[in-house]
Amino acid sequence: MADTAPPASPPDGVPPDAPPEAVPPDAAGPQAATSETVGPEDGAPRERDVTLRMEHASIAYGDVPVLEKIHGIVHPGEAVALIGPNGAGKSTLIKAILGLVPVVRGRIEVLGRTPALARRDVAYVPQADTLDPDFPVSVEQVVMMGRYRKIGWLRRPGRADRTAAAEALEQVGLTQRARHRFGTLSGGQRQRVLLARAIAAQPRLLLLDEPFNGVDAVSQHALLEAISVLKGRGASVVISTHDLAIAHLACEEVCLLNRYQFGFGPAEEVLTPECLRATYGGHALELRGDRVIVAQS
Amino acid sequence: MNWFDSAMHRALLEAALVGAMGGVVGVFVVARRLSFFTMALTHATFPGIVIAALLGINLLLGGGVFGLLIVAGVVMLGRGRGQDFTAATGVALAGGFALGVVLISAQSGFTKDLTAYTVGDILTVDTFDLATTAAVTCVVLLTLAMLGKELLLRAFDPDGAAAAGLPVVLLDLALLALVEMAVVATVPALGAILTLALLVGPAATARLLSDRLALLFPLAAAIGVACGLAGIWISMVADVAAGASIALLVGAVFAVALLLRRGVRRPRRSTALSGAD
Ligand SMILES: Nc1ncnc2c1ncn2[C@@H]1O[C@H](COP(=O)(O)OP(=O)(O)OP(=O)(O)O)[C@@H](O)[C@H]1O
Ligand SMILES: [Mg+2]
Repeated sequence: MADTAPPASPPDGVPPDAPPEAVPPDAAGPQAATSETVGPEDGAPRERDVTLRMEHASIAYGDVPVLEKIHGIVHPGEAVALIGPNGAGKSTLIKAILGLVPVVRGRIEVLGRTPALARRDVAYVPQADTLDPDFPVSVEQVVMMGRYRKIGWLRRPGRADRTAAAEALEQVGLTQRARHRFGTLSGGQRQRVLLARAIAAQPRLLLLDEPFNGVDAVSQHALLEAISVLKGRGASVVISTHDLAIAHLACEEVCLLNRYQFGFGPAEEVLTPECLRATYGGHALELRGDRVIVAQS
Repeated sequence: MNWFDSAMHRALLEAALVGAMGGVVGVFVVARRLSFFTMALTHATFPGIVIAALLGINLLLGGGVFGLLIVAGVVMLGRGRGQDFTAATGVALAGGFALGVVLISAQSGFTKDLTAYTVGDILTVDTFDLATTAAVTCVVLLTLAMLGKELLLRAFDPDGAAAAGLPVVLLDLALLALVEMAVVATVPALGAILTLALLVGPAATARLLSDRLALLFPLAAAIGVACGLAGIWISMVADVAAGASIALLVGAVFAVALLLRRGVRRPRRSTALSGAD
């Protein structure tokens, strides 16, 4: 708690990250949507405004932390991009927010609860290419999986579940492919199906692990559209990506990661050449003074 | 005379039961790529059977209890390295079989009992065996029906299942235990080695014929039952071993399905291409 002094470990030239604590009051749409989705059991008004709170969190698979001193807040209707080189810990942070990897110091809170207790309101979109393309499951079955938690044990999907699944599939523009086998779709389309599955779960926090890898312009557009609809309904979104342009497009906040946090805040403040160079070590190249390209040496 | 007094009737019923159960369980075995695990189970339950023979208790019970220990061991060993049970299974296979051999070589005299066990003899199945198989079939099919959607999510997207808050270790334990029960119930009829045919073959064949999960279960069960019944009939008519006839039929049906799919595939592919925009 008291350890607000910047740690000695991150390289110099990094501005101390101080995420703005105050909620921008001008965001009328998300606020309205939030008060509607928040249940009466979440009493404290403070928690209403925060979907994800990370307080100097260190995350470890075993004894040695993979991520240290992660600190930041995500509000309803906001999206944050996790940016960093391979092995930076982006997937690890997402798994910690899901409660699948332990937080060994500090803490992570989702909707005022521990990650494991908040899973009902969190949806996770894995990378489509991590799933078995030969698996005998149809597109609509995959989307229905997003409803399983709400359906509960020993019960079958009802009409409300089928409606929610159909609407979610509609949102990503793949209604005509509902009966096709998941593996027969292209990589980008599979990614959209997985997003539809997350949408069907009606989450308040959506976590996407590199959703734009190997995705063409059409699918990318469909994904971005669907994400912005979710944000409009008051959901918060965390997206790990290597693509700075997409971070600019889809997210108002950026978190720069490489074992430590090299910046957390509004995209225009954090995506500076200095911060990127610090995050990526020597592999960041500068173009025309204001644009930065990251080279994977 | 009671219908069950005929060895032929008992054999037919037993074959239908293990055929249906093997087909349905097999859909999960194939989808989760547990063929190797299933093969290992048939061998790793061996020491349990030897111990049961030594103690003079029911062989099925001995194999079943020992198999459950193997299942728990495989799940625990497999946890450390993601979702792959392969390495842990290999250890269980070698270790279990070795233990059985050691126990056997320490004790001489009952090898006759055990050869029946490795090859199986469906025509000597008694009413008690039949009742056991029927009970196990009911338990296995009911459990699969109840946990179906959770097992499906776990099989398709392991991380997603954990992220959704499902108790993935318990689900894995449940599925492997169901496979184990199916193996132990089938072994007296088909023998340790031929059991694999019924637990993998019908489901793999169904998978060749259909992409739709809902169809796979009835299809695999039907193939299993048909091969079981036809195998018994062939063994009667041609006077050959019943278990081997069933296993051979399963293989033949799989080969035919493979050829059919080859033939069907080409036209289907071209329509898919012309249908795409
Ligand atoms: N299951 C695991 N057990 C132990 N260490 C792990 C595990 N998974 C990842 N790590 C380590 O954690 C660090 C961060 O990995 P992570 O997968 O989070 O990186 P990433 O930013 O997602 O990289 P990429 O861009 O390649 O996806 C790496 O050094 C990796 O070796
Ligand atoms: Mg990653």
